[in-house]
This record gives sequence, structure tokens and C-alpha cells, in this order.
Amino acid sequence: MSGALNRALYDALAEDPRVLVFGEDVGRSGGVFRVTDGLQAEYGEARVFDTPISEAGIAGAAVGLCFAGWRPVVEMQFDAFSYPAMEQVVDHVAKMRMRVRGRVDLSITLRIPAFGGIKGKEHHGESPETYYAHTAGLKVVAPSSALDAYRLLRQAIADPDPVIVLEPKARYWSKESGELANDGPGIGDARVLRDGETVTLVAYGAMVTRVLDAAAVLAEEAITARVVDLRSLSPLDDGVLERCARETGRVVVVHEAPRSVGLGAEVAARIMELAFDHLQAPVARVTGWDTPYPPASLEPLYLPSVERICDAARKVVAY
Amino acid sequence: MAELTYRQAVAEGIAQEMERDPLVFLLGEDVADAGGAFKATVGLLERFGPERVRDTPISEEAIVGAAMGAAMTGLRPIAEIMFSDFLATCWDLIANQIAKTRYMTNGQISLPLVIRTANGAGSRFGAQHSQSLESWAMAVPGLKVVAPATPADAKGLLAGAIREPDPVIVFEHKSLYASKGEVPEGEHVEELGRALVRRAGEDVTIVALAAMVPRALDAAERLREEGVDAEVIDVRSLVPLDMSTIASSVAKTSRMFTVEENPRLCGWGAEIASIVAEGLFDDLDGPIVRITTPHVPLPAADELEDATVPSVERIVRAVLAAIG
Repeated sequence: MSGALNRALYDALAEDPRVLVFGEDVGRSGGVFRVTDGLQAEYGEARVFDTPISEAGIAGAAVGLCFAGWRPVVEMQFDAFSYPAMEQVVDHVAKMRMRVRGRVDLSITLRIPAFGGIKGKEHHGESPETYYAHTAGLKVVAPSSALDAYRLLRQAIADPDPVIVLEPKARYWSKESGELANDGPGIGDARVLRDGETVTLVAYGAMVTRVLDAAAVLAEEAITARVVDLRSLSPLDDGVLERCARETGRVVVVHEAPRSVGLGAEVAARIMELAFDHLQAPVARVTGWDTPYPPASLEPLYLPSVERICDAARKVVAY
Repeated sequence: MAELTYRQAVAEGIAQEMERDPLVFLLGEDVADAGGAFKATVGLLERFGPERVRDTPISEEAIVGAAMGAAMTGLRPIAEIMFSDFLATCWDLIANQIAKTRYMTNGQISLPLVIRTANGAGSRFGAQHSQSLESWAMAVPGLKVVAPATPADAKGLLAGAIREPDPVIVFEHKSLYASKGEVPEGEHVEELGRALVRRAGEDVTIVALAAMVPRALDAAERLREEGVDAEVIDVRSLVPLDMSTIASSVAKTSRMFTVEENPRLCGWGAEIASIVAEGLFDDLDGPIVRITTPHVPLPAADELEDATVPSVERIVRAVLAAIG
């Protein structure tokens, strides 16, 4: 996935001279997760450059550059380190396009290595999506695989609105073969990755792989699970959620973020609004716990496991 | 009982606790000399002096960072962030440091601090001074979160927050500061984590918070004229969340509505709706309906702001449409 993201940046820089890439260590070093490797050598220090350790400065510079017609792609090195830039992101990045009545595109792509699974502890394993999804004016995406990471990052860079790209750290080294493409499902579209009739499992980011593993286990018990990769957390794909909820009547939502006001709450509330009369059981949520992200040894207990996902699926099926 | 404004009740709550406990002190922008941007700390400087009522530079990070350090040394600071929108400027300290300290030190260090902040719309202050950000705080493990709807609660919940051993964010509502209500005289402290039935009813349950509570109550009166008997619950405390009061009501009425000033996606209503649907699935006669501000940055123009935030009219229409 890190290679696919790297190619997406490489191709975007090649195709559009207005694209800039900057952030902490993205230039000379090529990024802590190698996503920007080689870009500065190819496109020079004027378009791919290192910044001081100031997340607010990075996001603020991106807003200013949009007014001058650039399309900045910036990196926040880790999830929790996007918080020092919160005010810039929420009050300026998210609202500026509305405040200038659409006269300036806020074509900012904010890449954030996110979520847990690499024994990164607190501050390096967080799921910040609730803050961004709750903020009107931002689009938020979270790819689950290499090819889709390429597609979503290219689409984010081409979008006239600011897009937060939450890159699942735990999937950076995952591999997938196929053609790199920008077209196909867009921002706002969910994808059905596995078909099934008994229950729908909804996930995003690194949890998609785990949900697919759970679906394989459930298949042996004659529970056919449909797997939905949300991809886009804001806007959400009401159409796919409604169709799957109607067709299977049972839904489990899975995410790493703490349970309280996570995307699972939103998806569950939405599905109830969209398909109440078709639900055979309440929507179940399998989530991280309402604690800070734990130390490495406790990570397996914190993240939703295949077993926890299967248990939830069995419960809604038996309801 | 004395009739006080919400802003007077805030000042009374702070004074009550400062009088009781010499470790309590107040800091923030313009809280001392000016008596607060919303006049909610008037008279405190005169009464308690500049050591305990402190104006700070315009640096939210410094305010909550200083509060965190003070709490670590055993003081009980009350930090004011003038607008809740500015919580974003110190979100690193709030979400990364303050909320996690007790966990990261294995319980060795607790942070008995309160962050008070003016939240919400209704003042035509535009997109950067009108947000309702209580759902952000609710999503941070390690924080407690309250949002008073009445002067009595502005005092009582604030006093309760000050006595908590853990960090609490108190979301005061800008549009309620001038509202008046009865406040118990003498010591008044409310326990966090208790919702209140503000109006009893049999047909539907309307769950609201802060400035949406009076609107929900007005809507309930209008609904009565339409033959619908609505129960109105004031959530008061998002963390801890009193699900038993809400669940008891929905078990009785079988219909639930949330009234939220925050943007729709990932608002507190989604959490409450999900919990209720999970526990009372077979009792519900229809989907839980969330009446929220649409997912847009808040506009400043009077007409547009009024069109975005849930109105009495919208609540009435939503309830009638759902049960019709």
C-alpha cells in the first residue's frame, strides 16, 4: 500500500504542476512510512519539501497556498499529531470554501497515517475519524487495500474540497496486484467486497481484512456474510448501507476507534433510519474500548479480533 | 430558591467552590478584570483576588497546559476557553495529554480540572464561533462531559464537575447565558451522569441537550395541542451517560427523537440511538429520528442560522411526520 500511495503522489505530481507535497520528513528522508520516497529527487525541492515540526503551520500553509492556486498534499506524521493542527483544519481548511462562497477551491489533501495495529501505543495508534467526520466541510476517506489507496488518494487530490485520507498504518506493507486506476468507485461510494445473504459486516481501513477473515470463518458455520468496505466515512454511502441492510436484515459494524460516538454509532443510527422495517436484529457494534490506545502488549485485546467479530455476527443471526 | 440568570449561576457555582476549597482557582482570557466575555465570572476577581482569578494571554494551549500542570501539583483549576471552537487550538493538550494522563501513569496522577467553554449557536457569530463540539469531547476516552440547560444546572453541574477527580469539560451555552431560572440557595451540587425528565409524557420521548431542551419543551407544548403527549429528557451529562433514565422512558413510549444542535454525522444522538436500539429493539414502534443541524458549517446570517439549527417548528413537524 505504501508503494501504491507513493505512485499516486508520483503520478499526481506529474500530471498537475499545481500539486505540491510537503510535511515533516516527506522530502529528503522520503517519509517515516516511505510513502513519499523518491519524490523530491524526481520533482525537486520546490514541489516536494520538508517542513518544521509544526502541524498547524503545515495545515495553515496549505490553506494559503490554495488561495494562490496550488493543490497541496500534506502529511501529518501520525494520527494524534494531527491534533496540534486541529484549529487550522476545522476552522480554516474545512470552512474556507464556504466562507468565500466557493470562489476558491480548498483542494487540500491531508494524509494521516492512522489507526493501530503496529504496537505504536497512545498518540501513535489512534483513530481520529470521529472528529473529522463530525466536521462539516471535510471529506474523510480510509482505504483498505493498495489499489484502492491509489484510487482514493488520486481522487482526493483532484477534489475541489479538502479531503482527509486516513491511511491504515497496519496495511502499509500489504500487497495487492492489479492495474492502478483513478476511476471506479469514487469518494462517497462504499464497496461490497464479498457477497452474502445472512448478515452484513461493515468496516473500513485495516478492519476490512479482519472482517473478511471473519466472513471466511462464518462461512464454515453456514453463515454467509456480506462484507462492505465503507472507504468513505464522510460522506457515507447511504445507498449501499440501505440496500445491504434491507437484503440481509442483520448488520455488524466494526471499527478500531473507541465505541462512543464512533462511526459505528452513526452507521447503526443511519441504518435504523433507512431500513427499520427490514431489520431482523439490532445493529451490533464491534469496536475498540473507551480507553486511551493501550500499550503494545494490550493491543490484541483492544482491537476487534476475528473472534469478537464472529461472536457479534452469530449473536445478530441468532437474535 | 433565587431567580438567577444562567451567567450569574455560573459565577455562583465557581464562587461556592472557591469559598469551600482554597485549591480551586480560575484562569482564562478576560475572566478577571473584564468578568468574562459572556460576563459569567463577574465579581470573582474582587471577591477572591488576582492570585485565584487570573487573566491569561490569548493562548488556549497555555491556559489548559497551565491548568494541567496545576492539577498535577494538587490544585483544582477551572480553565475557561472563551468559545468552544477554540478547543481546537488546544486539542493536542486536551485529547493527547489531559485525557490520557491518568491512564498513562497507571492511575498515579489524576487531573481534577475543569474546562468551561461557551458552546453553540444563536448569536450570529458565524462558522468559527458557533459550533457545538460536545460530541468531540464525548469521543475522547478519559474526559467527562456535561452541558447544562438551566441556571440551576449551570451552578450545580459546574460545582459537581469541580469536585470530580478527573478532567471535565463543561459546555455552557452562549444563547442561554441571559436565560433566568430558579436556583437553590445555599450549597448546590449536582452529581454527574444523571439525566432528568423535564416533562413527563406517554406518547413519545424527546431527548435533548443544553439550548435544545427549552426548544424541545416548547415543541412538547405544541404537540400537546396536536394530541401528542411528549416526554422531554434533558441528557445533561454525556459522559457518564445516564442510559437508564432514557431507556425507561423509551420502554414506556416506544418512540424516540433526539434534538441536536451539532452536525448530524457522529453526533451524540447517534450514540444514544444506537444504545437504545440495541437494548430496546423489540420495544420500538418506529425508527429513532435524529433532528439535527444539517451537516454544514454554520452560517452567520440571521435567517440562515435560524434555518440550520433545529427549531420548535422542525421538532414538531419531525415528530408528527414520524408518528403520523
